[in-house]
Amino acid sequence: MTQLSRKCVPFTPFDRELGRATVAIVTAAGVHRKDQPPFNIADELGDLTFRVIEADAQAGDLMVTHHHYDHADADRDINVVFPIDALRQLAAEGVIGGEAREHVGYMGYTMQLKRMYDETAPRIADEVDKRSRADAVILTGG
Amino acid sequence: MQREIEMRGIPTVLITVSPEVSKQMRPPRAMYPRGFKIGNSLGRPGMADLHKQVLRDALSLLTGPPHPGEVIEFDYPEYGAEE
Repeated sequence: MTQLSRKCVPFTPFDRELGRATVAIVTAAGVHRKDQPPFNIADELGDLTFRVIEADAQAGDLMVTHHHYDHADADRDINVVFPIDALRQLAAEGVIGGEAREHVGYMGYTMQLKRMYDETAPRIADEVDKRSRADAVILTGG
Repeated sequence: MQREIEMRGIPTVLITVSPEVSKQMRPPRAMYPRGFKIGNSLGRPGMADLHKQVLRDALSLLTGPPHPGEVIEFDYPEYGAEE
């Protein structure tokens, strides 16, 4: 397959009604459930794994493990990097159709960019495509 | 990451607080809440209405005219200046 030029912007048109679309959040901010293994911040190269956050997760079930940004605010209110309550409010108001089945958290800092692109990114995309079944995805950094 | 998901046929929108860096990644859709610091992509803790507004504005990039590769800036005076 042709290599994507750096100048090329992949673009999938959004062909549906927002009010009937399910939306997932994918965040690089190191968000995970408290009962999941934290991201490994002792690994200088950066943790390449990701966590699936299912649609029934409450803000209070979640936390941040990340050593490359000041997440004191996210520790107080996860919504500042992972807007789960805001998303649910918009669903309740009919702005969006609903929350997707799953969201994804990963730790966006890595010294292994190639492996992040070659391994982690396709796996997260698979998760979103096949299991989350989201109609659209919001991505946040931190 | 965003490009990988977009290439699967799922439209995406990035909320970034590092617009210069994000622009280089050629995002299909991206927005920058002007002045928000790293760690505050949606606003400050407890500002639930602001989080909702930022999210709503990000989602609006799905239905509005496309600007592939660009980072669209939005202003939210309620975020306030640095303490």
